[in-house]
Formats: sequence, C-alpha cells, structure tokens
Amino acid sequence: MAGRQIFNPDGFCNVTEDGKTVGFSFAFKAQYYRGFTLSILRDIAVTVDDENFNREDIRLTVNGETFTLEECRTVIDPDYRWEFGDFATVTVLKEGGLSAGSHHIHAHQSIAPSYMPFTIEADCDADFII
Amino acid sequence: MRIKRSVSLYSYQDEYYNHQLDLEGCLRETAKTGATGVELLAEQMIRRFPLPIEDEAFRAKWFGWLKQYGLEPSCYDAFLENRIFDNRTLTVKEQIKMMERDIRLASLLGFKNLRTLVSTPMDVIEGSLEYAERMGVIIGLEVHAPFSLNSTWADGYLELIHRTGSKFFGFIPDMGIFCKNIPDVVREKALRHGAKPECIRIVDECYAERVAKGFVKIQYDLNLGKANMEYRLANGMAEMMKAVKKAGGGPADLAYAGESFTYSWSDPQDLIDNIAYIHHTHAKCYNTHPDYVETAVALDEVVAAYKKAGYDGFLSTEYEGGEHLRDAFEADSIEQVRRHQEALRRAIEG
Repeated sequence: MAGRQIFNPDGFCNVTEDGKTVGFSFAFKAQYYRGFTLSILRDIAVTVDDENFNREDIRLTVNGETFTLEECRTVIDPDYRWEFGDFATVTVLKEGGLSAGSHHIHAHQSIAPSYMPFTIEADCDADFII
Repeated sequence: MRIKRSVSLYSYQDEYYNHQLDLEGCLRETAKTGATGVELLAEQMIRRFPLPIEDEAFRAKWFGWLKQYGLEPSCYDAFLENRIFDNRTLTVKEQIKMMERDIRLASLLGFKNLRTLVSTPMDVIEGSLEYAERMGVIIGLEVHAPFSLNSTWADGYLELIHRTGSKFFGFIPDMGIFCKNIPDVVREKALRHGAKPECIRIVDECYAERVAKGFVKIQYDLNLGKANMEYRLANGMAEMMKAVKKAGGGPADLAYAGESFTYSWSDPQDLIDNIAYIHHTHAKCYNTHPDYVETAVALDEVVAAYKKAGYDGFLSTEYEGGEHLRDAFEADSIEQVRRHQEALRRAIEG
C-alpha cells in the first residue's frame, strides 16, 4: 500500500555552515487542502529515532525565507504562504547533525484554520538515509 | 431553465497536491466532464493569494482559459481568516473589510456567488451586504453537516434576510446533509486501521436509527466546538460510544464512531421550503461507483427536490473521498468527478 507522498524523498540532509555541521533538514507538504499564511501554523514537532528537539531549534523555510516557529506567528505576507502541494523545508539545529545511515522521522504538523473549532493535527512518518 | 452542472476544483485536490494537475489542468478536466460551471478555492490553487487576482495579466489568462474550455464561474469559496493571528479574533470591522476584499476578488474573476463558512459572524454578513449588492455577488452560507436548513440555526439567518430584505445573502447546501448512510470509503478506511466489524455494525445501526428517527438539529452558537458537542450528545453519541467500547472498540472503532457525526440526513423537502434563498449548491460525493451510484448521498431524491422547486442554479460536484484513501492508495479524482457528473446529468435530465 502506498499512500500519498508527504516528505520529499530527496530532501533529507545534514546542514553545514562555515564548515561545521549545525543540524539537519527535510522537506514536507502541509496536510491541509489549501495554502495558508504561516501565522496559522501553530506548531511543527520533530522526533528522529526517539530523539525530540526543542521548538526553538526548528526553522521553517518558505520561498527562500527562513523563520523560527515563534516568528511564523506574525507572517502574513502572500509571498510566504505555505502553498498547497508545495514542500516547505524544515531545519533542525543539532550540533554535528545526524549520523550517516538509516533513520526514522516523526514530524507533527499543527495548523489552525480560523473556521475550524479544532486544529488540524497531522502525524507524518518516514524512513530515510543520510 | 434547467439545473446547471459545475465542478468545484476542490475535487481535484489529490492530483493538484501531487502536481499532476495545475489550475489549467483542473479546468481542462472539468470541461471534459460536460460541466459548464467551475467553482474555485483561490487559496488552494492561486499562488501568492490574493496578489495575482489583482493583476490584469493573470485575469486575462483566467478568462482566456474559461473561454477556451467553455466554462462559467459558478462560485468562489472564501475563507474568512478571522483568526489570522493566534492572540485575538479580528474585530467585526476588520472582518467586514476582509469579506469585502473577498467579494471584490470573486467579482474580479467573474463569480456571482461567494461561499462563506458557518464560522462567519452574522454581523459580518450583515455589514457586507451593501457591498455585495454593489458588486453583484451573492454571499452564500454553506450549510454543511452537522448544520441543516429548517433549524433554529438557519432561522437566525432567515431573520437577517427578512429584516434586511437583501437578495444578496442566502444558503449553499452541501449534499453531505443528505447522507442515507456513512460512505463506504470511510468504513473501509476504519477496517484498514483495525476497526472491528462488530463495532462498525453498532455505529452503522446507530446512524440508520438517526436517519429513521430524524436528527436532532444543531443550535446556533459561534462557539462551534460547543454547538457541535451538544449536537452529538443530543444525537446519542454517549450511548453509542459506550456500546462501541463495550464491544471491545479500540482507536479505529472510536474514530469511526466519531466520524459518523460528520454526516447527516435532512429531508430533501428542506430544499423546496428554502429554494428562494438557495443560489448555489455543493454536490458533495465520496465514492461514485462504476454504475454511477454515489455511496451515501441520496442523489436522485435530492435532485428531484431541486427540480420540483424549480432551481436553476448550479449543482457543483465536490468530491471528498480522497481523504479516506490517501493513507493507503492514490485517489483518482478525475474518474470520480467524471462518474459523479454523469450521475448528476442522469438525475437532472431523467
């Protein structure tokens, strides 16, 4: 059984800055049926191989601009909507990044469309290789 | 005049998500079904919303496509993002400005109907009516399960219509309020997730009982969570959950039981009673079989009511079955919409 694709299979990698590995990143699609301003993105939580990460260490990149989850709360510019069907890149700060080899990711999205009495909670899982 | 057929591009969301169809591709597929109307969720398929709609070059492209594919704009689906910031709800004035923006955007793309959601405060609708009239766009409140026509919930809006005398506000029924049973794709999903046939049977029987007895209708309350919970309890949710648990129900069973409340049955006579206020319709569908029978919606009865009432608006296919497949399969919305349009054609012309 093959459900629809959520993660970009080519998107998993370590992130290097000034020659140092500062974290890892992946790209996935929002599990909602329209594009939305980042201001209604309530949360992204990431677990890799049972390791949880702090909310402050998560960055979201949309259309070439990078925001912390805290900053997302006020992003309403049309240029930085999370468009329907588009991958957004998530970067997680983690000194040294992920080890080479196989990993499992569990990433949770929480989106709050104004008309809904509850938030959309989506659990996204994938195995990947660094 | 005969009832017209439209397709809501919402229907093609799985193909759009997978980048198999873009906006033009969706219009092309719509035209292939024989529909003459198109319904759009601008926030779904127009990037950098709302900027392109303000752009003449984009609009020239849009109207060029409509001409090329022989389509007429039927309804613009707006999302009043009145909680765009997480620390407050926009003021009524801010919301009216947002509604007026959406009315203007709809008008720029040639739409004469705008769908608004049940979360839209009545003051915001009333405050936008004058502008709607000026722009020639009718605001339609979506009547989506668990809401229904001929209810105290709907009475508040009728009072608004009668008090203002406005012809620019009405209802957009969603055919999910005419479900005789829970869609088969929902049941199959539950089984795939480990639900027990015994628990499924309990939930299906409870649904059949609600249909037979008549649903207790939802009350008006802007606190939608509260209104929904009271509605569920009034329709026997607590007893049903207890029975499911007693039969050994786990998470998949309880999820199916909870989901059963997202469908409802109203008497199609409600359409006839309210036809003066119905300017557009969401022809919701979940799984149309190869013999053109929809799994849950009593399409023939519903279309018969529209015909009897003399409705001359659009019935707009809104395929929503994909969300019950995509954990395991690829949805084929193109085929589902084709079948549903054929089912609509037969019901309208038959």
